[in-house]
Amino acid sequence: MKKNGFLALAFHTVFVIFMVAPILVVCVVAFTPEGFLSLPTNGLSLRWFRAIADYPEFIRAFWTSVYLGAVSSTIAVILAVPAALAFSRYAFPGKGALSAFFLSPLMIPHVVLGIAFLRFFTQGGISGTMTALIIAHVVVVFPFALRLTLSAATGMDRSIESAAISLGASNFTLFRRVTLPLILPGVISGWALSFIQSFDEVTMTVFLAAPGTETLPVRMFLYVQDNIDPLVTSVSAVVIAITMAVLIILDRLYGLDAVLSGHSDRNS
Amino acid sequence: MSFLELSDLRKTYGNVVALENFNLSVEKGEFISLLGPSGCGKTTTLQMIAGFTEPTSGRIVLGGRDLVSMPPAKRGLGIVFQSYALFPHLTAAENVAFGLEMRGIDRASREERVREALAMVGLKGYEDRYPRRMSGGQQQRVAVARALVIRPEILLLDEPLSNLDAKMREEMQSELLSIQRRLGTTTILVTHDQQEAMALSNRVVVMSKGRIEQIATPVEAYNNPASSFVASFLGKTNTLSGEIRGGTLVVGEFRAAVSGADGPVAVTLRPEKMRFDSTGLRGTVTARVFQGNCWSYQVQTAQGEVLVLRQNDGQPLPVEGDAVFLSWSPADMGLRREGLSHG
Repeated sequence: MKKNGFLALAFHTVFVIFMVAPILVVCVVAFTPEGFLSLPTNGLSLRWFRAIADYPEFIRAFWTSVYLGAVSSTIAVILAVPAALAFSRYAFPGKGALSAFFLSPLMIPHVVLGIAFLRFFTQGGISGTMTALIIAHVVVVFPFALRLTLSAATGMDRSIESAAISLGASNFTLFRRVTLPLILPGVISGWALSFIQSFDEVTMTVFLAAPGTETLPVRMFLYVQDNIDPLVTSVSAVVIAITMAVLIILDRLYGLDAVLSGHSDRNS
Repeated sequence: MSFLELSDLRKTYGNVVALENFNLSVEKGEFISLLGPSGCGKTTTLQMIAGFTEPTSGRIVLGGRDLVSMPPAKRGLGIVFQSYALFPHLTAAENVAFGLEMRGIDRASREERVREALAMVGLKGYEDRYPRRMSGGQQQRVAVARALVIRPEILLLDEPLSNLDAKMREEMQSELLSIQRRLGTTTILVTHDQQEAMALSNRVVVMSKGRIEQIATPVEAYNNPASSFVASFLGKTNTLSGEIRGGTLVVGEFRAAVSGADGPVAVTLRPEKMRFDSTGLRGTVTARVFQGNCWSYQVQTAQGEVLVLRQNDGQPLPVEGDAVFLSWSPADMGLRREGLSHG
């Protein structure tokens, strides 16, 4: 293998430091014994991890985020599969426009979406409800679900479907036994990316959440506005730990490359 | 009426005619090849028999039943695709079992027939392998087993051997042929490989630009090509311009007695049917290439460049620069009163 040059090496080092340093700092600060954000200089303490238990709203917000992420990504994926199949195999008038429309949430600033949805949901009388949050999150994560499902559907050998038809498969059997299993890696990746996107979303959600439907990022955002203690760092550390654990499990089970790219060796 | 009748098939895409005037009768048990260069309409024809493409007009009748109005899933044909199109998420046995499952055949006889089919293509013991863990040739065999296990009325082969290397291809050819002869399944092969078509089929349908050029046995098509296209597509052919004068054919210095009215004619000749002689068409050897079992000669004549193939049977042969005379038996040549171009 070709060795990296000095400049390339330096660039990569700096890049990794910029990526990892903030996360590391947050994790280290979480162990401070002090009552304010500081690097622990005189001893480590689990004080702020214990403190999470005194704030059940953080735990509730965490579960709200998980629930919201799971439901909205599932809905997004269910909508994305038929859309991806239609886009990948049929030519129809307005195809380009429709595809651009489906991907447009990527291009609209989330602040704008937040204000627009707030207005819209207030008008509809569902402002601040879980239903409203789910609708908004489905719109935001749908492009991610569609992108990955579409790449799986486009990359599939169509003659495999022809073979199934020639062997007598009905449309439904064809979908259930052949098409869906073949695009499943893309569907799962689309779900995973959608979930991450939903879990991470704060700019729009902060406009839409009400007490009782606050997601974890929103809860943390509101907390740091009023407090300067290191509670948010210990919460962040816990989220990072959970994320790492999930990624490690996914990697062991399926291989991370496969999950994040939407292609597994089963598809090759 | 024949087993499979294709009458007046026509397919157009907008203003482009992909196929027209296609008439073919296939007898039960026959092995037919649709042969031609890409874009000749052979794949379109196969797709229409399979039901994946609808003819613009014309009829396809199989055993007295009209196929055109029947959805492809109901036609009961076995198809082997160029890419094999195996189900990658199923094992070899599950791939083969798929069509039986769709027919609601019970598990016990299904397993029995899958085992038989895999054994027939020489894949005993590969039941639980996934396609990605098999070589191209093995995947090909699974595809053949999957198509035949449903006991199709017709087996359609879409360039099935073009992704295999030369040695594997020859092996698969003879195996396909022996399986087809044993089961007696009516088979239609689409190919651009004239050697493959001639080796496998009872009859070849030579196609060009959406039309049938000739339907004949391989021997007949090779020896008596119906058009200059067939002559040049099925192996190499020399086309010489000659003239008939009072019952004598004149090609340069070559003379032969023929019947036919006076006038210019095109003479087509296979390279292996020409020999070096003491009289005949005068020429000079410009190049020769050794090919193991034969020598390939290029001879410059007043008629243009002529290709000659001679067996490497130990007889003395001319070398580069030699002046030679070319002759042939009148029975081996084709005569046509059409465009006198050099082929």
